[in-house]
Amino acid sequence: MHSYTKYWHVWKTIAINALQTTFVNRGSNVFFFIGKALRLAFMLLFLWMLRNTVKTIGGYTSDEMVVFFLVYQFIDTVPQILYRGVYLFSNLVRTGEFDFMLLRPINPLFGALTGKPDINDALFLIPSTALSLWIISQLSLTITTASVALFSILMLNSIILATALHILVLVVGILTTEVDGVIWMYRDVSRMAQFPVSIYFEPLRSLLYFIVPVGIMVTIPAEVLLGKHSLYVVLFSCLFSGGFMFLSLKLWNWSLTKYQSASS
Amino acid sequence: MKTTTIKKYWALLTISWENGLVYRMSVFMWRLRRFLAAVMALTIWSTIYTSAAPEATTFGYAQSDMISYIFLISILQSLVLATALNGLAQDVYSGAISNQLLKPLSLTVYLIMQDLADKLKNASALLFEIIALFLIFKPVVHLPDLPTLGIFIVWTLAAIVLNFCISLLFGSLGFWSPETWAPRFLFYTLLQFTAGQLFPLDVLPTIFQKVMYATPFPYLSFVQTQLFLQKLTLSEIQLHSMVLLGWVAVLAFLAQGIWKRGLRDYDAAGR
Repeated sequence: MHSYTKYWHVWKTIAINALQTTFVNRGSNVFFFIGKALRLAFMLLFLWMLRNTVKTIGGYTSDEMVVFFLVYQFIDTVPQILYRGVYLFSNLVRTGEFDFMLLRPINPLFGALTGKPDINDALFLIPSTALSLWIISQLSLTITTASVALFSILMLNSIILATALHILVLVVGILTTEVDGVIWMYRDVSRMAQFPVSIYFEPLRSLLYFIVPVGIMVTIPAEVLLGKHSLYVVLFSCLFSGGFMFLSLKLWNWSLTKYQSASS
Repeated sequence: MKTTTIKKYWALLTISWENGLVYRMSVFMWRLRRFLAAVMALTIWSTIYTSAAPEATTFGYAQSDMISYIFLISILQSLVLATALNGLAQDVYSGAISNQLLKPLSLTVYLIMQDLADKLKNASALLFEIIALFLIFKPVVHLPDLPTLGIFIVWTLAAIVLNFCISLLFGSLGFWSPETWAPRFLFYTLLQFTAGQLFPLDVLPTIFQKVMYATPFPYLSFVQTQLFLQKLTLSEIQLHSMVLLGWVAVLAFLAQGIWKRGLRDYDAAGR
């Protein structure tokens, strides 16, 4: 329990620092906020136009397509709030500053992952989630209490998967001192899950389900919310994420043995 | 131009080309990201049309027209929007451009050569991507007549110059502020939709189209694609030619003026 309190205290301090930085760079953050709002608005406009023109897309109704996008929007934002530190990790490895993280009495993985919470995304998450909930309430969908409960479990599962994927990016960072290409590749691949992954051709579809599992992160939760899957799929998703996380942690521990502490 | 000058800039181009290929994995990742963006857009539209009747038109586009549109705009944007000047503002702010300013070279020509080498690098990778996209989505692309093709090439070159001027303008932010990424982020977010990669701009409501055409965004690849697909009338071609050249002139003039002013204020901080 003491350990959890310690980590909470560390994260809180880092988050408060990030919040202060955000308020120092107010102009930049306004630009970022407007950019994110415009991106959301443009996608919603596109989906609204589709909704008015096309009845079904790849076996899904236009309203269901909106749900896929909104679920993506939420799941894409949460890891960005928590794990922005990953984007800066290669610099820590290159300069040898990661040594200091290894010396501290906290888990270096915790430090590398949560090094810089993105306050801007946290601020954006509030109105965007409220808007998403309002939009979903306006759509012609059949959503039951059971599907909402399963969806909530899968949301947590998605965050575990996103964490595992970010750990893999850190592993690449230690091995190659370069994460920029990989993290942006992950972002672009996850962007493909703005639409149900099942519409893509093979082998891309399988890749999106099992290699970079954005299908399990976004498509399956959205489908569960829409009542399109049974409990077995939820169980499979949770088991898959557990396995994926286990593999990521093993690789992380292995990569630490390869860290060369260059430049320090 | 003297032979020695040509040799100097040729050397600059080859050095920039080689520099661009130092981190080959990064180049590969970047191209793969662009390829996946094209795959996503093409898949969505293919699925939309497959779900509708085969002969149906959506937003006024038949399936083959839409697939050709997305195919062409993906190629065009890879050429026009790729730039080596993304880090220019940071170079200015950190004082790194002092190295270039001290050399007996024109800074503008140096930046042009860097950008040209980057475009050549992207164009080389694009050849493979075109083949892959062609094999996967089988777009039906009809070549326009020779005069239209000529205008298309001129418009594409103008779009490249336009994008170069915009990059210079963003680069000039570094003379006065360390916060250069946020305005670029906003610009590229706008560009992502307004340059027409996910959907053609003429499917938008009229009011949105009018707002878009008051900006340079559609002239960075959308109008070129419309021209190639022969969707423009003669009067529209004339109008867009004038507007495109107008944007190039205005932004080139602005970029030149702001860089002159910036270099006057430049104090090589950090050097």
